[in-house]
Amino acid sequence: MIFPFTAIVGQEELKTALILNVIDPGIGGLLVMGEKGTAKSTAVRALAELLPELETVRECRFQCDPDGNLCTVCLERNETAALPRDRKKMRVVELPLGVTEDRLVGTLDIEHALRHGEKRFEAGLLGDANRNFLYVDEVNLLEDHIIDLLLDSAAMGVNTVEREGISFSHPARFMLVGTMNPEEGDLRPQLLDRFGLCVQVTGLHDRDRRMDILRRKADFDDDPVRFGDRWRPQQEELAGRIDRARERLPAIPLDDGVLERIVSVTTALWLDGHRADIVIMKTARALAAFRELAAIGNPEIRDAALPALLHRQKRLPFEEVGNEQGRLRAVLEENLPCA
Amino acid sequence: MRLSDFVGQEEARLGLLLNAVDPRCGGLLLVGGRGCGKSTLARLFRSIIPAGAPFVELPLNATEDSLLGGIDLEATIARGRRALRPGILSRAHGGAVFVDDINLLSPELTALLIESQGRGAELIEREGISERRECRINVIATLNPEEGDLSPHLADRFGLCAIMDDLTGPADRLEVLRTALKGAGSRDEPKDPAVERVAVARRLLASVRFSPEAMDRIAEIAEQSAVHGHRAELFHYYAARACAALEGSKQVKVVHVERTVGLAYAHRRLLPGEEEPPPAQGEQQRDNEQGENAEEREERRDRRESDTDNPSGESRERGESEAQRESSGREEVQPVGDPFMVRRLAFRKDRTKRKASGRRTTTRTDCRGGRYVKSLLHSPDHDVAVDATLRACAPFQQSRGRKEQLIIEQDDLRFKQRERKTGHLVLFVVDGSGSMGAKQRMTAVKGAVRSLLLDCYRKRDRVAMIVFRKDRAEVVLPPTRSIELAAKRLAVLPVGGKTPLTAGLLEAHRLVRRTLRNRPWTRILLILLTDGRGNHSMTGLPPLEEGFRLARLLEEETYCDFIVVDTEDKGNLVRSDLALKLAQTLNARYFTCETLHSGQLFDMARTGFI
Repeated sequence: MIFPFTAIVGQEELKTALILNVIDPGIGGLLVMGEKGTAKSTAVRALAELLPELETVRECRFQCDPDGNLCTVCLERNETAALPRDRKKMRVVELPLGVTEDRLVGTLDIEHALRHGEKRFEAGLLGDANRNFLYVDEVNLLEDHIIDLLLDSAAMGVNTVEREGISFSHPARFMLVGTMNPEEGDLRPQLLDRFGLCVQVTGLHDRDRRMDILRRKADFDDDPVRFGDRWRPQQEELAGRIDRARERLPAIPLDDGVLERIVSVTTALWLDGHRADIVIMKTARALAAFRELAAIGNPEIRDAALPALLHRQKRLPFEEVGNEQGRLRAVLEENLPCA
Repeated sequence: MRLSDFVGQEEARLGLLLNAVDPRCGGLLLVGGRGCGKSTLARLFRSIIPAGAPFVELPLNATEDSLLGGIDLEATIARGRRALRPGILSRAHGGAVFVDDINLLSPELTALLIESQGRGAELIEREGISERRECRINVIATLNPEEGDLSPHLADRFGLCAIMDDLTGPADRLEVLRTALKGAGSRDEPKDPAVERVAVARRLLASVRFSPEAMDRIAEIAEQSAVHGHRAELFHYYAARACAALEGSKQVKVVHVERTVGLAYAHRRLLPGEEEPPPAQGEQQRDNEQGENAEEREERRDRRESDTDNPSGESRERGESEAQRESSGREEVQPVGDPFMVRRLAFRKDRTKRKASGRRTTTRTDCRGGRYVKSLLHSPDHDVAVDATLRACAPFQQSRGRKEQLIIEQDDLRFKQRERKTGHLVLFVVDGSGSMGAKQRMTAVKGAVRSLLLDCYRKRDRVAMIVFRKDRAEVVLPPTRSIELAAKRLAVLPVGGKTPLTAGLLEAHRLVRRTLRNRPWTRILLILLTDGRGNHSMTGLPPLEEGFRLARLLEEETYCDFIVVDTEDKGNLVRSDLALKLAQTLNARYFTCETLHSGQLFDMARTGFI
């Protein structure tokens, strides 16, 4: 049993950022920074229960999108006949710290080889993670050679394996979700930029809310099934809301007015690259859909820019994290007046 | 030996009992000096957990393989399908894992272990095996702070922590001796009453309820303590409940909450410089009680931090009054000077080679300890990658006419390529004495350190910092990858007091030894910032003589390079150039504060010297 997402006390920014990634996977994942013991992992794991279904190729190991990029097997099948369709629930795939390279990218299927004497590709975690969430706890403790592999396929959206006499390629587009405690060490800038959004979490200091945390955790531990039943209505309500937002998403216009306002913010902050602009755009649109609005307003752009820019701003290595947040807020207020 | 016979150490014993009553207490970290009975006590946990529950000891030389398990070659071949050889975690399911000296275990393994405890499951993604197994374990670990620290982040994952006392009274000592004698071998001693107590408490646990006052008190303590996150109160909650059950009470009362506060909070207190101001809405009437707790904790912390030179844990007050007696003993915190560019902070190449060739055999065996990254077709070492070899030969078994045994040919052999982080540690040893305060010298030094830190940030080195002032040296920053934390500590470094140069060098020596024991492949760059005018001796030898002796000791340390930054005012008529002599003794690169500040370091660095 997993602790229900809706039963997590507070941490609204974290929860919203996760939900927005479900609504539009193009946002590109989330980095959760924060102190120890603040429900970072709990929230990510709890997300699994709220995930919607994906349209996939039936029996495809990589849940290929029938209308998108295909793996080696689906490509072959597609030549002879139309691909059969199926629906699969989106998942949270976890990447543990002790992962070996072959389990990440995939390798020869040893069982198949032993039994049938022929070579077959066995998918790794990157294959499982295609169109799903890929979750790395303590991402800053991940070994460098694993990070290199992650960056490779994140950049290409494809995982290509050429080893041990097998040659295989499959799409590997995943939403990378990582948690980290900055005091344990920093993250390589290339990896940092791969995370669409970034939120900072802190513990709750309010006494009543702390009591809520304690009580809910204790209730859950005592009887997880009963606790789950009690939270089912809230869970279903939120899952429904996410589904509706996904449907509404394509209808929300991205007109020039919206784009200009986004660019005004990123220009004022002297940001390098265009990933930030794109992420803000997608996040603002997902936010509008989640808030059941017909169009993107200033509040949506502002609320999207905060998590999109937190880790992308230029910051001296020793500048206090609070500093650049203050600067960011000031720029946002100036450029995006909210009534 | 029975747990009930153990003399003293109430807190630690309670911690073990609580974990035995309710595994949700999240394990126990036992902190104490040499020979205080940590390990003996921890091993007694085996006797109080339910019969049949495993108690597995994790050796310090364990590998990821032995922790998580790997492919079982024999079974795989026999059955014609993959079989997993269970690791330590699987074997410990439903019981406990014991780690002696957890701070000496590699941080990667510690993280894996603690992570599995927190999750209640182990995720195996190794060598073609993908499995999730339930793994409910309690980690019982010991830690001797003299041997190095555990990162606060990992410490936080332990539910409870007991700081062990040194028993000093003669009566206590005598009783320990007697118990030790009695415990040696008497096999048919009566059953430990603690076992029955735990069994009763486990049955009672489900029906134990919190009184509203007790619940209030838990929240109140959490609110008023400056700790990060919510683990403290969660584990406090379970500990208090288990405590009530242990005492046969169906209701958790305030007394149970108070009894367990030390166990839940001992390892979660923040280090200086990290503390956040406590919330303002504290209630007045509770302040006294809370103050007591805080004092008690502060006392324990002092005890934990005091190094071996001050076994009695001399209070800071004494140090301060001494400092006040010093003529220049005014204490202040100077700001950090402007940073400048440092291009290259590399390690001298010639030295590396010499050491590497001189220790060739050890290096080769050491190499096997690295992490298995991938398999190769050829390798000078005969470190066979069994899994890859198996995969390579598997497809041809039918064509080769396999009957019983697997047929492996020369061409199938695969070898392991191992990789390991070549750790670089940059150790700053900073003179914080009163003389450093003159002419804003400390500001310049802080600026220099900060510039070097910037470089470490780019190189992803680990850094550590030792400061010596007044009568002692202190590791203000244990080795860490977090440069931000280093910068924070740097900013709050005070100056004032005498110059215990030898204490600084000794502490540096200890840290170097500790680091090399823990990660023998680490290269260390020691940067000493001082005017060299040591005036506080540790042994009674003349302070300068003592200093040079220690410097010679340090110089012999392999894998360690030195830089000395002389902070003496060279415009002064009575210059001593002691730091220069120190640099010569250490065989170190030498700079003065002025050459540092005028951008010279940059030029020197560009030519690859530093």
